[in-house]
Amino acid sequence: MSTHNQGTELDLSWISKIQVNHPAVLRRAEQIQARRPVKKEWQAAWLLKAVTFIDLTTLSGDDTSSNIQRLCYKAKYPIREDLLKALNMHDKGITTAAVCVYPARVCDAVKALKAVGCNIPVASVATGFPAGQTHLKTRLEEIRLAVEDGATEIDVVINRTLVLTGQWEGSDFIKTSTGKETVNATFPVAIVMLRAIRDFFWKTGNKIGFKPAGGIRSAKDSLAWLSLVKEELGDEWLKPELFRIGASTLLSDIERQIYHHVTGRYAAYHDLPMS
Amino acid sequence: MAATRAGPRAREIFTTLEYGPAPESHACALAWLDTQDRLLGHYVSGKWSKPEHRNSVPCQDPTTGENLASCLQAQAEDVAAAAEAARTAFESWSQLPGAARAQHLTRLAKVIQKHQRLLWTLESLVTGRAVREVRDGDVQLAQQLLHYHAVQAHTQEEALAGWEPMGVIGLILPSTFSFLEMMWRICPALAVGCTVVALVPPASPTPLLLAQLAGELGPFPGIINVISGPASLGPVLASQPGVQKVAFCGALEEGRALRRALAGEGAELGLALGAEALLLLSDAADVDSAVEGVVDAAWSDRSPGGLRLLVQESVWEEAMRRLQARMGRLRCGRGLDGAVDMGARGAAARDLAQRYVREAQSQGAQVFQAGDVPLDSPFYPPTLVSDLPPASPCAQAEVPWPVVVASPFRTAKEALALANGTPRGGSASVWSERLGQALELGYGLRVGTVWINSHGLRDPAVPTGGCKESGSSWHGGPDGLYEYLRPSGTPARLSYLSKNLNYDSFGLVVPSALPAGPETGPTPAPPYGLFVGGRFQAPGARSSRPIQDAFGNLHGYVAEGGAKDIRGAVEAAHQAASSWAGQSPGARRALLWALAAALERRESALASRLERQGVELKAAKAEVELSVRRLRAWGAQAQAQGQTLQLGVLAIVCPDEWPLLAFVSLLAPALAHGNTVVMVPSGACPLLALEVCQDMATLFPAGLVNVVTGDRDHLTRCLALHQDIQALWYFGSAQGSQFVEWASAGNLKPVWVSRGLPRAWEQEAEGAGPELGLRAARTKALWLPMGD
Repeated sequence: MSTHNQGTELDLSWISKIQVNHPAVLRRAEQIQARRPVKKEWQAAWLLKAVTFIDLTTLSGDDTSSNIQRLCYKAKYPIREDLLKALNMHDKGITTAAVCVYPARVCDAVKALKAVGCNIPVASVATGFPAGQTHLKTRLEEIRLAVEDGATEIDVVINRTLVLTGQWEGSDFIKTSTGKETVNATFPVAIVMLRAIRDFFWKTGNKIGFKPAGGIRSAKDSLAWLSLVKEELGDEWLKPELFRIGASTLLSDIERQIYHHVTGRYAAYHDLPMS
Repeated sequence: MAATRAGPRAREIFTTLEYGPAPESHACALAWLDTQDRLLGHYVSGKWSKPEHRNSVPCQDPTTGENLASCLQAQAEDVAAAAEAARTAFESWSQLPGAARAQHLTRLAKVIQKHQRLLWTLESLVTGRAVREVRDGDVQLAQQLLHYHAVQAHTQEEALAGWEPMGVIGLILPSTFSFLEMMWRICPALAVGCTVVALVPPASPTPLLLAQLAGELGPFPGIINVISGPASLGPVLASQPGVQKVAFCGALEEGRALRRALAGEGAELGLALGAEALLLLSDAADVDSAVEGVVDAAWSDRSPGGLRLLVQESVWEEAMRRLQARMGRLRCGRGLDGAVDMGARGAAARDLAQRYVREAQSQGAQVFQAGDVPLDSPFYPPTLVSDLPPASPCAQAEVPWPVVVASPFRTAKEALALANGTPRGGSASVWSERLGQALELGYGLRVGTVWINSHGLRDPAVPTGGCKESGSSWHGGPDGLYEYLRPSGTPARLSYLSKNLNYDSFGLVVPSALPAGPETGPTPAPPYGLFVGGRFQAPGARSSRPIQDAFGNLHGYVAEGGAKDIRGAVEAAHQAASSWAGQSPGARRALLWALAAALERRESALASRLERQGVELKAAKAEVELSVRRLRAWGAQAQAQGQTLQLGVLAIVCPDEWPLLAFVSLLAPALAHGNTVVMVPSGACPLLALEVCQDMATLFPAGLVNVVTGDRDHLTRCLALHQDIQALWYFGSAQGSQFVEWASAGNLKPVWVSRGLPRAWEQEAEGAGPELGLRAARTKALWLPMGD
């Protein structure tokens, strides 16, 4: 992250004044998905752009260095080279925005990325992910260790006990969810968050980033997320410094769509390399 | 345009991340036009009709100006042929069991479902509206409308017992309409057993396509007939034999002209006028969502008109900033592009907007325009007008598409005063997260539809309509069905036009009344004076008219009321209106029952006055008794039915016959539904009504009921031309009825006239039937969306 949120005096009246009408937000969420279809070359270009926003993620209990290595290779080469060539995009250095792993796997990721000559950041979930219900001391220690191992971005699970009792925390990026809940990134929730980001920017001049995570699986979904950010915040938020998509299987669907765009045929699973 | 622009390479888009064209193919629409050789006629009785020697009008793509087809213009004989077809079809269609009509409507819904792509591409192609709105909104709603009304047809025999279909319905639609406006009206008409002739503006192929789809369904080809032609054929359509009602939707002044033109024609007239909406944004609103409401209302191709936006002063800056930022992200373009918010609606709509905005600017307004708008001529950008001086002509005029006129307000009370301070009463939305405030505002707005924290929602089961000069016809829900029904056994409406009626002089002068000899007969003398504001007052003219009994003797003198007395009576009625409307149904019942008891006590006096009018004692007693029963019945109904919405000040001109019973039969439903009234009693014998006034003077709040005696034609003239009377019932001569219909065009008050025909007041159906209750109340739809 190049610039950090310098913070501001906590003014709880900002929060208490906010009004959100649930049915109206739901309607807006429906509309955004229906009103901005993106077709043909536009779709291909937007999908490639979406790739550059992905925090390519594996957060499984059985992660080992071998699948981390595969993940990092995929982060470096997210789309088959010949497909990129067909679109004349092979020299754009398209990679995912980051890889995102558990703290214990940060070392593996840093090593694997170095091996493929890729300088994208390693992000780590920390602080008692996904519940955040551990002591502050161990949570801080977790962050320190992950940073020591080479992680440059930390997805902190906020202490929701504090939030629900009205005690807020600040950050550079806000994320919809951990991806481990029953309901994760949804459009209505995102709309409320994006509007809060815009209001904060209008009040303080600070740009806060946004990361939806969990449940974003299809290329079509990713396009809707891009246009959601474009509509609610504007183009200046459409860069990896301010927008990320936390996803694990999304990338393969994007690649399939690109394959279809280039070849006119639908790909079989074995046509594209796995991550 | 996008189609001719060379596609930028993916590399470039990757950097700019701009939106591209998402064109919807309209090949099927063109192929359909080809089936008619690009020449569209009329669709009558299940067949295309292309009469020779007719003018034709080009149907153009409003974006490109390309000629798509030619449309033949109907002449009077084409209108007659269509009406004849509808009349023939009515004979079998109206006799079908409701369940059979339900089946047919369901089949029509399925046909629309099967051909929806053709429908939405054709509609978007010729109207220029965003295809997304037509595809996801209109076409889906059209099917829902058919399904909803199929259910209504299915249950008609039970749910609408005592009502029968009117007959052939004439439908006149404006040039800037969606085919959905036609569906809102034909679905209920067909469901209850009516058949339809739609007169659509030249170059509107979608209604013709719908008629073709319906016609090809088989056994009832003549139930929907569509002819295209100028709106000036409206009176021709109305005067066709069998046409019982004309439903008009369009511009205010056209509606007013039609109201005047159809005075004395038999057909009833239902008006839905104007297209402006209102949005009220309070300081307790979710401002971002309210801004989306503005987009829905003005810039999403959903609504046909512009928007008046009232914003609370304390959130004015914030709301304007958000609104302007949002406007910057709107996209205009060819309607057939799936990614545009707003299409082009042709040169006429653009010129109208341009003229309005220029005038507003010259009157001192600020104009803000934004959005991604192609530079080609048919487009007009989303426009926000603010700082318009309140008294300037533009502030009074109807706001056109796609303009939003914003003005600030300080308090909720002021918001209501501003919102209600126009002659229009269509629809409005209220944005506030404080439920109490939102409901208070919703209740106080004098409009037909109020949406709370949403805008423009429609559902077949929810009636949509208006009040004031927006016209009082309804569609959707139960109200939409009653528009096309009449009480069973009502005679057909025939023309009663009197060509030599002079509107300028009708009832203008009151013939002089001279002393007519000594008053004879039983004492006490009848009460004297006009009953206004709760007491008997001398008339402004300070003269009296003699009333004779059945034997030619002088029965008494009554006051000669005039224009000033009517003015005073209407003022008194307005003063009493809000407190009476606020009374609980129970309190209304109590008052009506108290009057019933008073009439019972006065029975002998009333009966002897009736006797002097030539009624036998037994019949006179029966009339008093029946009058008492009417008051009790409406009182009971008022409480049983619960709160309904009043019209306001209702003026009633009573018939000459049944001087007591008709007076009471009209008074009771009016009061039961919360109206205050100005009444002109029987001209032959106003003394009965004045007797009743003696009891009302002691029982009723002042101004609730006002009774003005005098020359009926003169008083009728004063009432019909009064701009602040909300409805008028007239039971009298054919000429008087015609005048009332003509004069009601002034403030477009709903009128109910007898057309010179007698009415059986002693019969339950005509004297106390549900029709009276329906005419005495109005409807208002209030939306409060909630849940997931």
